[in-house]
Amino acid sequence: MAIVRFSGVNKSFRSTSVVSDLNLELPDGSFTVLVGPSGCGKSTSLRMLAGLESVTSGTITIADRDVTQLQPRDRDVAMVFQNYALYPHLSVRENIAFPLRAAKEPRANALKRADAVAESLGLAMFLDRKPKALSGGQQQRVAIGRAIIREPSVFLFDEPLSNLDAKLRVETRTELLQIQRRLGITCLYVTHDQEEAMTLSDRMVVMRDGRAVQVGTPIEVFNSPVDTFVAAFVGSPKMNLIAGELTGETFTLPSGFALNVGRVGASGPVTLGIRPDDLVPTVADDADARVKLVELLGPRAIVTVDARDTELTCVVEAARLSGITEGTRITLSARPGAVHAFDTKTGQRLVGADQEKHDG
Amino acid sequence: MRNSRTLTICRVALLWAAGISVLFPVVWIALASVKTPEQLNDPFLLSFAPTLDGWRNVLSSGILAAAGRSAIVALTTVGISVVVGSMGAYAIARYRAGGTATRFGMLAAQVLPPAVLVFPFLTMAYALRLNDTLVPVIFAHLSFVLPVVTWFLIGFFEAVPRSLEEQAQVDGFTRFQAFRLVVLPQVFPGMGAAAIFGFTLSWNDLFYGLILAPGKAAILPVAIAGFNTFRGVQIGSMSAAILIAVVPVVIASFFIQRRLVQGISGGAVKF
Repeated sequence: MAIVRFSGVNKSFRSTSVVSDLNLELPDGSFTVLVGPSGCGKSTSLRMLAGLESVTSGTITIADRDVTQLQPRDRDVAMVFQNYALYPHLSVRENIAFPLRAAKEPRANALKRADAVAESLGLAMFLDRKPKALSGGQQQRVAIGRAIIREPSVFLFDEPLSNLDAKLRVETRTELLQIQRRLGITCLYVTHDQEEAMTLSDRMVVMRDGRAVQVGTPIEVFNSPVDTFVAAFVGSPKMNLIAGELTGETFTLPSGFALNVGRVGASGPVTLGIRPDDLVPTVADDADARVKLVELLGPRAIVTVDARDTELTCVVEAARLSGITEGTRITLSARPGAVHAFDTKTGQRLVGADQEKHDG
Repeated sequence: MRNSRTLTICRVALLWAAGISVLFPVVWIALASVKTPEQLNDPFLLSFAPTLDGWRNVLSSGILAAAGRSAIVALTTVGISVVVGSMGAYAIARYRAGGTATRFGMLAAQVLPPAVLVFPFLTMAYALRLNDTLVPVIFAHLSFVLPVVTWFLIGFFEAVPRSLEEQAQVDGFTRFQAFRLVVLPQVFPGMGAAAIFGFTLSWNDLFYGLILAPGKAAILPVAIAGFNTFRGVQIGSMSAAILIAVVPVVIASFFIQRRLVQGISGGAVKF
């Protein structure tokens, strides 16, 4: 049972705090993703678990064993780096077998096991090649093979897909998830890409400035963001966040533009959050909102709207796009129950979207 | 059009001039080594009947034994320098050990006149009864070869990504094993070049050899200087001895010229 626990973990370099008070439990076999903008402390947290960074205070345990002071080699973890860190002077076979060398496995045995792993990853024909003769995707699979050959307690991934092109990223993402599910090994994954986080994780940890701002399943984080930062970070296109006055069912912006938002359990000055999918435009010749831009993405279109100098984004199904082009005057309404209200000063959630009514 | 032709002609002329000025002494010495003392009175004599007397004299004078001693000193010096220097260069590259002051200050040893260090070495050698042996010579050579080799290797180590040794640590190795099994192989070309560079520095030293091992343990440059007798300079024999000293190093340098540039530029130039 390889449950991983971060308890009150802090990391600072001289006087700068990089990770503050991280408390996290990764259940056995789970896939947890640390996501956040650059500099939020996600890579540092991962490296502390690997043993590549020291912990300033707090403890880290793997399977109830305190590993906080242990060297990386004694922690029984495997890691895949962003640049794959393949050993240039060794062949693919030797690269994959390398961790077994540390475990003093007899050479012939190690190489045979490496062959088997390479076979399962579709690398059988590259076994004698050196890393520089492989494509990015193939190199990545060698790195994964090297990680799985030891069957460690924990897998660590530090933005492994960042160096791949978009299409390969999506394919490899799926493969990675299948491998993890098959092996059932606890996994901690770091990325700055919220889409990767949403699709891969059992649980997401959104981090900012060294703190875990929200921890939850992708659905929870998407539907009930705990503050404006998480609300804006997760989901693409970004959630519309507008500050204004909520009276009854009407939300009025400082510019005077008014929006019907249905029943929201808050009133007064709030920051309203509406996802583009939940903001519905309707053509109306006398309205004061104007379409600025329409970007067609195939089955959907992103419609950028100018609502009296406030820019809002809607997502509309291509089938319902008729009549909406640049310059069209439209009214906007929010889907009932899909509106979030945040405190304008602190950014904290006041009222979330009503999940039963939300079908996004 | 005319401009680039003129430029090309200037470049070629410059290269020829540089080539000739470097090769001319070597060619002259090669010629001098097969001339008799009488023929040598005319420095520009080109048509003459060559003689091997100079070479016979040199080879029977124990020059090869001196060359052997030079080789022992140079190989020992380089061996120690490469082992210690690679670890030092790694520390400086990875951990900024000693700061910028150390990284560039270690070359201060090159600027130091050998006369400053030679007497302490001599005194210590006498105290240990090691005067006129190769041991103090090796130590003296280390004083300027080790810093150069270390400095040379820093750029090569910096070019190795940190993630490589971190990966090795996570894969189950200690920090030193990661250094030995993963980082060093990336730096082997640089180490080879540093070794040959250091070998040349040690091989060419006259000063320390002259003071610390002037007699039976004479190294090659000292033996060559020995042809400058009180009866006059035996140019013919000396030239032959010089060729023995110079030619192996020239050949070795040819093979490492790329790495030499890489090392001297601190790893800034990549091939």
